[in-house]
Amino acid sequence: MGALMVIFSLQTKQRRKMTDSVEDELELSAARHRPEALEQLEAQTRFSRKELQILYRGFKNECPSGVVNEDTFKEIYSQFFPQGDASTYAHFLFDAFDTDHNGSVSFEDFVMGLSILLRGTVQEKLNWAFNLYDINKDGYVTKEEMLDIIKSIYDMMGKCTYPTLKEETPRQHVEIFFQKMDKNRDGVVTIDEFIDCCQNDENIMKSMQLFENVI
Amino acid sequence: MAAGVAAWLPFARAAAIGWMPVASAPMPPPPRDKRRGQDGLIILNVSGTRFQTWLNTLERYPDTLLGSTERDFFFHEETNEYFFDRDPDIFRHILNFYRTGKLHYPRHECISAYDEELAFFGIIPEIIGDCCYEEYKDRRRENAERIQDDEENDNNKDMVLPDMSFRETMWRAFENPHTSTMALVFYYVTGFFIAVSVMANVVETVPCGSGPNRAKEVSCGERYALAFFCLDTACVMIFTVEYLLRLIAAPSRYKFVKSVMSIIDVVAIMPYYIGLVMTDNEDVSGAFVTLRVFRVFRIFKFSRHSAGLRILGYTLKSCASELGFLLFSLTMAIIIFATVMFYAEKGSTATKFTSIPAAFWYTIVTMTTLGYGDMVPKTIIGKVFGSICSLSGVLVIALPVPVIVSNFSRIYHQSQRAEKRRAQKKTRLARIHAAKSGGANAYLQYKRNGMLAEAEEEASKHAGQALVCKSNPTFETQHHHLLHCLEKTTNHEFVDEQTYETSCMEVSLAKPSMSRSSSMSSSPHGLSSCCTRRNKRKSFNVPNSNMVAGRRGSIQELSTIQIRERPMSNSRSSLNAKFEETVPLNSEEQSYITAAVISMPTPPVTTPEGGDSSSSHNFLQSNIVRVSAL
Repeated sequence: MGALMVIFSLQTKQRRKMTDSVEDELELSAARHRPEALEQLEAQTRFSRKELQILYRGFKNECPSGVVNEDTFKEIYSQFFPQGDASTYAHFLFDAFDTDHNGSVSFEDFVMGLSILLRGTVQEKLNWAFNLYDINKDGYVTKEEMLDIIKSIYDMMGKCTYPTLKEETPRQHVEIFFQKMDKNRDGVVTIDEFIDCCQNDENIMKSMQLFENVI
Repeated sequence: MAAGVAAWLPFARAAAIGWMPVASAPMPPPPRDKRRGQDGLIILNVSGTRFQTWLNTLERYPDTLLGSTERDFFFHEETNEYFFDRDPDIFRHILNFYRTGKLHYPRHECISAYDEELAFFGIIPEIIGDCCYEEYKDRRRENAERIQDDEENDNNKDMVLPDMSFRETMWRAFENPHTSTMALVFYYVTGFFIAVSVMANVVETVPCGSGPNRAKEVSCGERYALAFFCLDTACVMIFTVEYLLRLIAAPSRYKFVKSVMSIIDVVAIMPYYIGLVMTDNEDVSGAFVTLRVFRVFRIFKFSRHSAGLRILGYTLKSCASELGFLLFSLTMAIIIFATVMFYAEKGSTATKFTSIPAAFWYTIVTMTTLGYGDMVPKTIIGKVFGSICSLSGVLVIALPVPVIVSNFSRIYHQSQRAEKRRAQKKTRLARIHAAKSGGANAYLQYKRNGMLAEAEEEASKHAGQALVCKSNPTFETQHHHLLHCLEKTTNHEFVDEQTYETSCMEVSLAKPSMSRSSSMSSSPHGLSSCCTRRNKRKSFNVPNSNMVAGRRGSIQELSTIQIRERPMSNSRSSLNAKFEETVPLNSEEQSYITAAVISMPTPPVTTPEGGDSSSSHNFLQSNIVRVSAL
């Protein structure tokens, strides 16, 4: 009797496997991408030719097919934060990088984003950061969106922190943020409020300069 | 973290911009970038095959040869590249490791060559990727087993320890019957008696026709009771004697008593003695009959005589888990089906399925497809379940069997391989010794030429020596000079075999008592064997005979080897002739040979005989000669 059940389950698994493999094959053949020419990218971004070469080599090494889908993106980003769970923040990052919202980040998207982050003006950087925080891309950052973002940042820390993370810490952090940024107290932060406030804050201005020499 | 991900670090740092506006504290200052713009191509020339890679790729693993400053040792200025005199095929995999962060093991490469390359480049094998790790471990285990087999066989089989006590000789005779005729005879005799004993047990129970005073038939055992008793006694006596002898000869008695074979021996002979002791007591005679069953265990004594039986036993032991699984699943199935059949057949009249345990018998007979037919289901539902039972029985039994079969096959092939290797080893070693002695003779011949640096010309003259003639005369001269220095240091000379043997014959004739004086466990036995086999004409004076005795440790291995090979005899005779005339040292007309040390290292087969003074000598020589034989 047990033997019969074993045979039966084996049969169904085989059938399922066959259908899966057909779908997989289609997927594999579709996901390839070649970036635009080096000259074009050079014109569009603020990276030099050599820098673009180095960036592309690293990009292609990790993703030989030329595009990054969300899972690979999460995996790569998580490797930098082994103690915590970086997948939520990576998800937000992915949405921010994937400007055309087609579910994958190509080399152009990648390098454009990096160009703004590393070589852009302060205004552009702040714009990008606001875009990151605005999860539904409606132009307003609500408290819930901010809570999600801050929770994902705290998730990256993991459990073993000093002092230990408490439940209300993210919420408190959101309150502080909104107190600083939300000038007209309407419960949302707009882009102008955000940029205005950040430009007047010394700490934030100083930290914006930090990542200029990354490449 | 995979090295490839390091390329994405700039991206991760850039993405940190999202934290800035929400940061509760100011950011720390960034680290200063120490080495910038050092990324260039680096050329690695491995035996002519040029590999090129970025410098950064190699720097990912700074604790390996290529990633650290150790590679500077291999830098070749003229061509501005790094040159490695190693295998380019295996290097390909090593370089791929730097590129992708994963080390793969190529299946077609030899495992020891691969390990050597890994050790050279400073890469630990544990980081081999999951895809190749199993294969790597399997090959490594196989190789280790092979080396272990070789070592075991070397140590056990062919060693003729001359000073072995009687006890050790006996033990060796028991374990390896082919070593001496006595052992072989004993082996066959015991085998014969085991067979006789088993046959007697069997024939005892055959009905032998009715006796003269009795109405019914009696078995042969009862009719010829006395004859069978005598036969049994004889067999048991032989077995007892054998067991006691083995017990005496065993090097570790405790280990011997614990071993499986000795337990089988004991179980085989115990019933007889117990029977002797308690024949008069009526109550336990029932138990006595049961004991006679144990006599059948004598048949297991055959496993000493058959390697196949031993392999079978070893296989069953190594497949214990599969057998256990088989048993467990069978038990489960038996219980299930017996229950089902019992309840299915409960309704029918005069059914044989009286209880669930009674149904066990039916289930076992059906699952193993025996189908005796003494119990059959009568109801329809009983028949349905009966057929399901027999179908699943076939499956459950067939599942673990291939695992056991493959295990047996692996072990059997392993033992076959060991046998083949042993047979090949003899020829292989003989060839190696021929090559080595060729190297030694080159030096002796160099000496004949009066230590001149014209070794190359002389070497070409003696065609017989062309086998080991090297194309590097500078090397040869320097090597010969080194050997000469050694001679001067120790105040002894290298000689060839014949000279040595003649001298040793002299020693054994002149001073038989000297043979006992050596500190090492060397063999007078070896010497006498060597000298009796060769009959030399010249006689030499041997002033320092005690030195000769001291060297006997190394010598006695030599004697066994020399007998095996017969190198170039024609050149030898001419050498001897020259030898007579060129070397006068004493006032006596005969020559001066003192040392009987021949430049033959202790060969790897026989283990070196300890020895302090000559061990260093041997070591040096073995070093030297090995170089020349390359």
